[in-house]
Parts: sequence; structure tokens; C-alpha cells
Amino acid sequence: MSDNGEATCCGPGYASPADAMQAPREKILYTIAIYTGTGIQKPDYLCTIDADPESSTYSQVISRLEMPGIGDELHHMGWNACSSCHGDAGMERKYLIVPGVRSSNLHIVDCATDPRNPTLFKVIEGSEIKAKTNLSAPHTIHCLGSDIIISMLGDAQGNAPGGYLHLNKDFEIVGRWENSMGDIKFGYDFWYQPRHNVMVSSEWAAPNTFMPGFDLEEVGHLKYGRELHFWDFEKKEPKQTMYLGEDGLIPLEVRFHHDPDSSHGFVGAALSANIIHWWKDNADEWQWEKIIDVANEPHPEWPIPVPGVISVILLSMDDRFLYFCNWLHGDIRQYDISDPHNPKFTGQIWMGGLLEKAPEVNGVKVTGGPQMIQLSLDGKRLYVTTSLFSTWDNQFYPEIRTNGGCMLMINCDTENGGMEIDPDFVVDFGKEPNGPSRCHETRYPGGDCTSDIWL
Amino acid sequence: MTTYRITLANQNDETYEVDHRRPLLESLRERGVDLPYGCKYGGCITCAAKLIEGTVNQQAQVALNNRQLANGYIILCVARPTSDCTLEIGVESHDTLYRNPFLDPLAPHELKADIATPKEEAP
Repeated sequence: MSDNGEATCCGPGYASPADAMQAPREKILYTIAIYTGTGIQKPDYLCTIDADPESSTYSQVISRLEMPGIGDELHHMGWNACSSCHGDAGMERKYLIVPGVRSSNLHIVDCATDPRNPTLFKVIEGSEIKAKTNLSAPHTIHCLGSDIIISMLGDAQGNAPGGYLHLNKDFEIVGRWENSMGDIKFGYDFWYQPRHNVMVSSEWAAPNTFMPGFDLEEVGHLKYGRELHFWDFEKKEPKQTMYLGEDGLIPLEVRFHHDPDSSHGFVGAALSANIIHWWKDNADEWQWEKIIDVANEPHPEWPIPVPGVISVILLSMDDRFLYFCNWLHGDIRQYDISDPHNPKFTGQIWMGGLLEKAPEVNGVKVTGGPQMIQLSLDGKRLYVTTSLFSTWDNQFYPEIRTNGGCMLMINCDTENGGMEIDPDFVVDFGKEPNGPSRCHETRYPGGDCTSDIWL
Repeated sequence: MTTYRITLANQNDETYEVDHRRPLLESLRERGVDLPYGCKYGGCITCAAKLIEGTVNQQAQVALNNRQLANGYIILCVARPTSDCTLEIGVESHDTLYRNPFLDPLAPHELKADIATPKEEAP
């Protein structure tokens, strides 16, 4: 085993999801923190957080890598390599690709030379991406063997549907990945499952629609997505569209089972607050169904009940548990999806949120609600942060400007189901050296439950 | 070269003479004013400021809805002055920029320009 827990005999990652679950515990976390939209004129940055309970700096930010400029809005990120090139000894999980949604800059960060102090290796400027591919607003990153594809939510002027940026392993722009966007109206997240020759993509909105903030009326004007797209992965073109309608308003995070033979997958419809499940039936046809419906909750000051707003979903490495966050309600839920058609509600915790069920946790005022989550490879520790997107934070949780975000750890019972907030772990981003910042996505050096795909 | 005088009301009324052909973000940042920004093409709202007095051409902006425009907001990365202007800048000027969309819905005439319908006049 190397320092980051990966086998040294082959390429990065693990031979199988079962092997990944046997990896050593994560000792450090990489988490995005932003100043964009906060009023603090500093660059967004990548934090390294100590997650080793034996360490004297446990539960603290131990290093900060500032981006070169301000206003990127760092958001999601991804590894240059994962288990999809486990058999390639020439590859190494060494670089995090850290995009700015607003600037379209791609920051390539070396996390392997000194894992506790990542350094900036290269920047691909947004202007170069726009000039060469007419794309902007990078979101999800997946590696595919030695190549990298990134969903780009807009064209160079911020109009939908954007497309997919293709980088080679040396971080050079190859061009557009897709051969056609078909009739796709919007882009957002995607996940592929090569043994079924399929990629599934979801829909947020055009950057010019979602970046300035959320106008509810624009949903009715069809400015936000409600469809799911099934691609012919080898042909790089969309093949079939599922119209989810009112059950699937704003379908965001897409997760296939980690088991590469499985055709089952899930997406969270943020505004409808539903979980949608899809699978391939015995006749080789793709089917979908709604399996979880989070009821809107009454609020003393609201004229209408508050929707959950499912901002993220995640599957454990063994595909047994589904986790998701209701960012406006303030809860994280755990479901046993051993039978994906019949999920069983097995756990729930409360932190922040508009329903005010847990305004303070571990001595920190939680501003915002549970938002991005990342699960340890063994499925026992779920790390959660509270900021969604700077403009949307400013609309729903304006106090986050002065309070900042926070990170908590949830202990998950993988035997019987159940969740509990760990009392000894909290990172208060309200106390950062340059002032309150907002924390977003997290990744682990040894791979995680939303990075690794098996071919 | 036509220049206009830009006064920053919440920066001790500092004033700058700027070229009317260039976006305000570019001109002011060049003069050392520390301003927030993001996309630099008028789409993301990060650089919004409030126009207290004066006029600008901001045809290229696509971030603001009609209510934000009515409240005086301009997008500095694309707005070019067409007169002397007084501005409030930075997030201190964003008091009416963000609203909870469930608690405070927009009327049809307050949507973004491409989907707004004209306000019905009272009879």
C-alpha cells in the first residue's frame, strides 16, 4: 500500500468496490471553501482537513491553497484518475481538477507530492476553454481511463445546454467530448456504466438562469430541467430521454450502483424533493419510477409549505445505503436500498435548515442546511457541509455571510442502519483566517464514493 | 475621448474619470477599486452594484430580473456609463438584490426580460 492507501502493484484505485471498502481509513479530506459572493475580496481555496482522530490537529483545517484570482466560485471537483484505470500502472491518482463555475477556470492541483499541502500545478483559463470549445460553467468531472470529461453547463455566453469538455491526461484540451447533444435542453451531472454502454445525465438550468439566483417563476417558464438523458456511451450521443415532469423538477446528482454489472441508478429531483430510480428491464428497456417522496413541511412564516430541496444524493460503496440531504428542511436521510424498488427509511439527523430543528450542533451555529456529503469507503463516516451556491445561499440563508459554513461528521451504522452526529468533529468555517467562508464539496486522497467507476 | 465622472457613494464619495466605451468593472479595477466579479460577461450577478444617479448602457447583461433593474441594479462587468454616475458598490449595495423566492414571488412583469409580460395598467 502507498501513503494514500491505494495498492502499488497496479494503477490507481481498487480492483472492485469490495476491495475499496477494505482500504485504510481516510486521514485527510480536501474541501472547497469560497469567498465568491460573500463580500470578502479573497480567492476561493482548497482546504486540507485533518480527519485522523489520533492527530493533535484532528477536525482542523491544516492547509489552505488559494486560487490565483477571485470570483471563481469553486464548486465540484474530481480526480485525474480513479479505479477506471486501476489496471494501468502508468497512471496515478495525483491531481484534483478544481473548476470555477463562474470563471470557467480549471485549476489542476497536485495532491500527491505533499498530500497535506497541495500545490497548484496548472491552470486552464476559462478564456481558452471558451475560445476552443465554446463552453463555460464547468461542473462534474469524471475520468475515463486516462481521459477526463467535464460537464459544462453553458456555451461561452452562458446559454444552455452546453456540452462536455474532453481533456487528455496531460490536461490539454482535446475538444468537445460528445458527438451530439441531441435535443437535450440543459446539463448538470452525469455518471457512466460502461458494461451497459450507458451514460445518464441530468438537468439544472442555463448558467445565465441559475447563477444570478433562483426565481421560482422560471421553473414554470421551463427555464429549469425536468428530464433525464440516457446516452449511447460509445457513440457519445444521447439515445433516450425520460420526461420526469412534476415528479422530477430539477434533477441533480446522478448515481449509478458502484457494481459495474448493475443497471440500477438514482437521481435526486431537488425541487420536487423526490428520489427517482431507473433500471434496465428484462426486455433491455430503461424504466424509471419515483421511490421516495419527501413531503413539504409547514413553516410558521411561510404562506406555502417548505419543499425539502434535495441538493445531493450518494450511494455507499456496497450499494446498500442511499443518503440524501434536504437542504431547506435541514435533515440527512439514510435508506436501505438493498431492494432498489422498495427503499427502507433507516436513519435521519438534523442540522441547521429552515425548520430550525437543530440550529446549533457541537457548539456551532449551523447556517444553511446539510448540502454536499461524502462517505468514507467503508461506509461508516459521512462528512457534510452546508453551503449550496453563493447566490442561492444569499437568498435562503443570508446570515451565512457573517456566520460562514461548517462541516460535521455523521457516524453511520452499516449493520442495522441509523445515523448519529459525531460529537467530537466540527470545522467552523466562520472562523477562517480571512473571515467567514463557505464550504462545499469534499474528496479523499484514496478515492471516495462519488469518484470511482469500474469498467 | 468622452469621459464621465463616477462617484462611489459608499466609498467616501471617491470619484474617478472613466472612458465611456469601457465597462465600469474594467475601468474601476484598473484604478485600484477592489470590486467583486465572476463571469465577466454579464451573466452571473457577482459584480452587481446599485446606480443611485446617472445612466448606463448594460444591454449585454442577462443576470438581472426586472425587479432588480427597477431597484437600480447594474452589472458592472458589461455596463458602460452614458452620463456621470453615482454608485454604491460591493455586497453592501446588495440589500434588495437577493430575496427568498418562496416568500416574495415576482409578478409577471418583474421576471427577466425574455419571459416578462407587460404590467397591466390599472383601469
